[in-house]
Amino acid sequence: MKNRFKVLRAERDWTQADLADALDVSRQTIIAIEKGKYDPSLSLAFKAAKLFSMTVEDIFQAEE
Amino acid sequence: MTTQEMNKNTPGESMKSKTRRNTKQLALWTGLWLVSLALVAFGPKFLWDFHTVVTVCTVITNLVMGYKMIMANKQHLQDLDELQQRIQLEAMALSLGISMVFGAIFGLIEGIRLVTFSPNPSAILFVMGITYFVGVLFSTRKYA
Repeated sequence: MKNRFKVLRAERDWTQADLADALDVSRQTIIAIEKGKYDPSLSLAFKAAKLFSMTVEDIFQAEE
Repeated sequence: MTTQEMNKNTPGESMKSKTRRNTKQLALWTGLWLVSLALVAFGPKFLWDFHTVVTVCTVITNLVMGYKMIMANKQHLQDLDELQQRIQLEAMALSLGISMVFGAIFGLIEGIRLVTFSPNPSAILFVMGITYFVGVLFSTRKYA
């Protein structure tokens, strides 16, 4: 699954640690999501969508 | 939006402080359990000359410390985030699997006369510890 975590974070000038704190996860989790090595749970995806004020579909896209 | 403002979205204790507190608790109870285990192992011979009442009290203390350590570990795992929980799960799966496979054959090697010594069951604890550690390393690298 592709995601726009890195772009959205950069647009807001947040560090990985800032985003990790905001989503209440470890920085390791943010790194893994940004690199596409880990697909977050539905609840974390919704939490991220709420934080970025977007829909889950705007952040995550299934790879063809 | 600042980090503080973002944090308002998450009421309650932050993950960092929970992890810090849980790690301290786990270290404390693991340390106490180890000390009580050492007392059970060496106390009867070197400290109280196999006095049964003292030995039974030490064994009970060890079991209580063990229980507290298990609960602290459970709490520690519960408060990890989802990726960290997955890393722990993968490490535990590796550790349990290898320990079971090697533990079963290790118990048989004397009976089938492949070795002459009696296998020590506590050796499985070392296998578990080492494979768990290796599992955590591998899984952490996998998601890094």
